Amino acid sequence: MKLPRGDTVWGWIMASPAVIGLLLFMVLPFVVAIGLSFTTYRFNSPLPLRWEGLGNYIDLLTSSDFLRAVLNNIMFAAVVVPVQTGLALMLALLVNQRLRGMSVFRTLFFMPVIYPMALVAVVWALIFAPAPTGLMNRIVALFSFGHVQAPIDFLRNGYLAMPCIMVMSIWQGVGFQMVILLAALQGVPETLYEAARIDGAGRVARFRHVTMPQLRNSLIFVAMVTTILAFRLFDQIWILTRGGPNNATTTVLYQAFVASRERNQIGLGAAMAVLFFIFVGVVTLVQHFGVRQHREIQ
Amino acid sequence: MFRIPTRHGKFGRVSNWVFLLIICLVAFSLSGCRDKPDAASEGAEADTGKTVLTAWAHHGKSVEWETLQKQVARFNASQKAFRIELIEIPEADYNTQVQSAAATRELPGILEFDGPMLANYVWKGYLQPLDSLISAEVRSSLLPSIEAQGTYQGRLYAVGVFDSGLALYGNLAQLTAAGIRIPHGIKDAWSVSEFDEILARLSKQGRQNGGHGYALDIKRDYTGEWWTYAFYPALVSGGAQLIDTTDYQSADGVLNSKAAVRTLQYFQRWMKAGYIAPNTDGRAFIDGRVALSWAGHWEYPRYSKALGEKLRLIPLPDFGGGTRTAMGSWCWGITRNCKDSGAAAKFLDFLMSGAEVLAMTEANGAVPGTRTAAEKAQLYRPGGPLRLFVEQLDTCAVPRARTPAYPVITSVFQEAMGDILNGAPVKKTLDRAVRIIDENIEQNEGYPPSGGGK
Repeated sequence: MKLPRGDTVWGWIMASPAVIGLLLFMVLPFVVAIGLSFTTYRFNSPLPLRWEGLGNYIDLLTSSDFLRAVLNNIMFAAVVVPVQTGLALMLALLVNQRLRGMSVFRTLFFMPVIYPMALVAVVWALIFAPAPTGLMNRIVALFSFGHVQAPIDFLRNGYLAMPCIMVMSIWQGVGFQMVILLAALQGVPETLYEAARIDGAGRVARFRHVTMPQLRNSLIFVAMVTTILAFRLFDQIWILTRGGPNNATTTVLYQAFVASRERNQIGLGAAMAVLFFIFVGVVTLVQHFGVRQHREIQ
Repeated sequence: MFRIPTRHGKFGRVSNWVFLLIICLVAFSLSGCRDKPDAASEGAEADTGKTVLTAWAHHGKSVEWETLQKQVARFNASQKAFRIELIEIPEADYNTQVQSAAATRELPGILEFDGPMLANYVWKGYLQPLDSLISAEVRSSLLPSIEAQGTYQGRLYAVGVFDSGLALYGNLAQLTAAGIRIPHGIKDAWSVSEFDEILARLSKQGRQNGGHGYALDIKRDYTGEWWTYAFYPALVSGGAQLIDTTDYQSADGVLNSKAAVRTLQYFQRWMKAGYIAPNTDGRAFIDGRVALSWAGHWEYPRYSKALGEKLRLIPLPDFGGGTRTAMGSWCWGITRNCKDSGAAAKFLDFLMSGAEVLAMTEANGAVPGTRTAAEKAQLYRPGGPLRLFVEQLDTCAVPRARTPAYPVITSVFQEAMGDILNGAPVKKTLDRAVRIIDENIEQNEGYPPSGGGK
């Protein structure tokens, strides 16, 4: 018997475990989900399965809960992506200095990334505790010199819940972006800085004309990844607020989870997942092509 | 570029085959995991020849769990033909676990579950009626509330080893210091306006003593079912309901009625006035930061240890229609997946026998589920410190809405309670809750009678 020759075939054989896994656990369920999203499929219901056509989609696009979830997702991404990327850049510049003990700081800033979000959320639940003794309440009382009526119930206040989730999410995620940007910073050739210095460029000019252009690709990557991660907002919501108060922190993934797992409306949940996929796909593509065009102009 | 190093070598072909073989072996060993015995599967055990019945139970309080383990061991030792295998499921999201298991047909033969889920489980066809399965003796000794909770559409589907009790725990020292009248029983419960004044007085007293002015603990540190369990009795007492109980088709005009709005506005006001303690550490009552705690029977051991003689059980305030309290707790049913219903019923009979009911309720402090055990139990016999719970269950306890829509109703109501306590407009919040409940009922075609499912 003859074995096939050539790199392509071997490539496929080597890739097959991953490809099969991907097809079986990602593509297949998604195709099934698309199919289910047109039905009334519910877990364990004695009611007959019915073809809904676009019924689920129409229900969702006219549901104030779902639209609020989409809006919250957009709001979250719009704040978290720029703030987190900016903060990551600042931190990367900070820990890129050649000082003694710098690795300790790098480790400290990166540490929250290693913790599971569930753990981080539980810890932050204690920080945001609505008692006068809660850490955040203490801080607020201290800095407002007792003018703010304590205790504030941060996570159950309609105006504060989402910002609180944003703060903890940024705290948890910023280390990851920092490490990527740090690697990029260290990859900037020293000769460029030297040349700039000889040309008489000051600190600010060096940052603007050497560091930033060199970091450009990494920054684009970081912003894109952060966007996708931001849209996947779920763990912190599930643990801290359950979408409340009054839908202030509900997200698309949270709604999909509640619909399919708590209310067993798999068809509806699948429709949410499909809409969500399309939405994130479009945002990512727009980002991708937007940035690429920009590069061509340069 | 990466290449298989042996491809052009002397033994190239052979090595390629070896390489493929290794991949196949790995793949087989991975898929081999499936052949291990499945924890949820039932059937004969090879070594002892005994039939194995799986039972799911929630892991709540550790003493409760330990007692149950001992009970199962005792039962297994007494049986020759079969054995119960107890599987521990965390209490949080227990219902989700059950629904998922049912979807893949992996429900255990014996299932413990939270009482109000019963109608939903029956509608979906998970459970078998117990009428002809459990012994007549057990059946006739059930506490009326246990019987009510376990019955759906005229048939008994579950039995509870214990029921729950909900009331106010009072710190006698603080209450008398503030000159407050202590009710003797259900008949002279505080009216809501009296309660309103009491909270104001206690709060003032607390502030004068240098505290934060908290007067009442309502377990704000709890999440989940507590919020429905503990506050729908107030709703009923105020003249409202979770859903129209005549046909269970709509919550409109019931859950968002004037009576409901008025009742829940009280809680919002007490919250705004700063009477209700955050209780983030769960010790507001024990540490004397509040004089009153709106809590369940399960707090008794902790509270009585901390307060001793100063602890007093008081009925919940009367919101207009007489005091009302909650009932219902975890109970046992037999699923349609069960391989040997007779054996499963024997296990249920065993758990419901006098000695075992007492063993469990002495451990977890709950109200014994049978009349005979309730009369014998230290805490619950006439004159016992928790006798009020038994009296309440006999006279003024109300069951949570018995409809397949309950899981949705409770999750919506829990959310609404949270929002209302945090200052959301009451009427608007309840209107939204009603909309979600009614939508769900509509999406399920009104939950038509299913004849117990498939």
